[in-house]
Amino acid sequence: MSPMMTIAKREFRSYFDSPLAYVVMCLTFLLLGLAIFLYGGFWQIDRASLRLLFEFTPVGLSILVVPVVTMRLIAEERRSGTLEMLITLPVNDSDVIMGKFLGALGLVLTLVVATALYPLAMFWYPWNLGPLDSGPIWAGYVGLVLFSAASVAIGLLVSTVTESQAVAFFVTFFVLLVLWFAEAAATRVSGDLGTTLNFICFQSRLEGFTRGLIDSRDVIFFLSVTAVALVTAFRALERRKWS
Amino acid sequence: MSTDVMISASGLTKTFGSVRALDKVTFEVNRGEVVGFLGPNGAGKSTTMRILTCFISPSAGSAQVHGHDVFDDPLGVRRVIGYLPQRAPLYGDMSVREYLAFAAEIRGLDEANFNKRLTRVIEVCGLAQSLDKQISHLSHGYRQRVGLGQALIHDPPILILDEPTSDLDPNEKAEVLKYIKEIGKDRTILLSTHNLAEVEEACARAIIVSKGRVVADGALDEIRSKTGNVRYMVTVDEKNAESGHTAPKANELSSALAALPGAMKVKEHPTDENAHKFELAGPEGKDLRAEIFRMMVQKGWTLLELRRDAQSLDTVFRELTRGDERLDRGRPVQDDDDNDASKDKE
Repeated sequence: MSPMMTIAKREFRSYFDSPLAYVVMCLTFLLLGLAIFLYGGFWQIDRASLRLLFEFTPVGLSILVVPVVTMRLIAEERRSGTLEMLITLPVNDSDVIMGKFLGALGLVLTLVVATALYPLAMFWYPWNLGPLDSGPIWAGYVGLVLFSAASVAIGLLVSTVTESQAVAFFVTFFVLLVLWFAEAAATRVSGDLGTTLNFICFQSRLEGFTRGLIDSRDVIFFLSVTAVALVTAFRALERRKWS
Repeated sequence: MSTDVMISASGLTKTFGSVRALDKVTFEVNRGEVVGFLGPNGAGKSTTMRILTCFISPSAGSAQVHGHDVFDDPLGVRRVIGYLPQRAPLYGDMSVREYLAFAAEIRGLDEANFNKRLTRVIEVCGLAQSLDKQISHLSHGYRQRVGLGQALIHDPPILILDEPTSDLDPNEKAEVLKYIKEIGKDRTILLSTHNLAEVEEACARAIIVSKGRVVADGALDEIRSKTGNVRYMVTVDEKNAESGHTAPKANELSSALAALPGAMKVKEHPTDENAHKFELAGPEGKDLRAEIFRMMVQKGWTLLELRRDAQSLDTVFRELTRGDERLDRGRPVQDDDDNDASKDKE
């Protein structure tokens, strides 16, 4: 197994060695359930659609899951000194960044995949609430995977430039929140700023997927954000050599 | 480069902002040597080790480890070394076995090889009892052993250990030193510490750094004689003397010793109330023992003990690194630094 995958595997497993993964998962499911079925108006829509699932899941990921999962990635290793131990093993800095990214993304995707229990339980077994249009569901999940990758990469980047988990949490939380609500802000400003805000808004980028539309522009957008964040994180990690 | 040179550092300089942490550090470590890398806290020991393990890069200078350059081939360097950073930072959430397996997997050891090495590492580092314990539950001494274990898991020819005995109690210290001596029989080890007794116990050679510079490098005896002094310990009976003579008072004895030809410095050491104990520093080329003895006979004093030895490493260390306690290491970078290179070198 390559060093990158070894690091990813360790990272992924370490989430389950602490209560963190379990707490985050349970909380997310609870909040997601409440949001969709109690407050979101799932029953009022009266259609076999899971649009609400794809509207609320990214919000939950942005404000809770991704900041919690990524805050410690590099920051904690730096603080406790284990980063030195890790990097002085025969690994490249890129292995460390990619390993950490894949480990954290693995956990987030586990959660994303687990949300599929909702459509499965409701429209397949044990309840069969009606025929479901599976297209938007597949597309929705493609969108969620891309969105998760971009968000985790951003969280990893933030964790790389700070030594404090708390700072990493709040900065990631803030950045993802801004990216999510950028479009709402864009309606209040005009000109280049408005256009930019519209362009970077995660919410509007995901909208197509929720409707069952996989637009290559949105796919490339999320992949680009992921790549830029990872490369920047790599550079930030490498900077220790020269500072 | 000769194949026997395992670690070679040449003109290593590291600046952090405007602070100079390392200043043209040059040394070599040969195959099979156990070398103590000595210096007060903050003298640049860890910085040097981090450069040698490619964790950070030097601002100037170069270094090779087992023939691999730290700039061009960091992975090559890391493959041939085992490294234990200060305070053995390990993943507390893993068990000892899991951690060692993790290190082995990254180093590309296959299952069979790992099991073979694990047996040996358990034996050398005394880890049998704690193999399945979680690292966060281990005492500091045990963590240090696990750190040593991970550094040894791939059977590297070179070990770099950064203060492996700091924060340990005397028993743990002795144990870790025992393991290091055991390991050092067939390996090259660079071991940093600020504890001289450890160097005297485990190493044959020492490199002393102070304020980012190498101030001494050589066999321990060589370093001891560095200040050019010889030390005499003189113990004289405080109560009794030959008949017709009176036992000396401390100041009498002190001035008599100071009056000896060639005597340089006299210092009283604490003893019980029956004897005076003085330390006398003399020149290297001359033996003062006969003179001391004759003086005692002449005055009718009772000489209980007379011992001559080279300066203790402790004293040499303090003399060489004096000034560090003023925390003035890392003087600002100056333009004329290149000119004073020869002057700086000992």
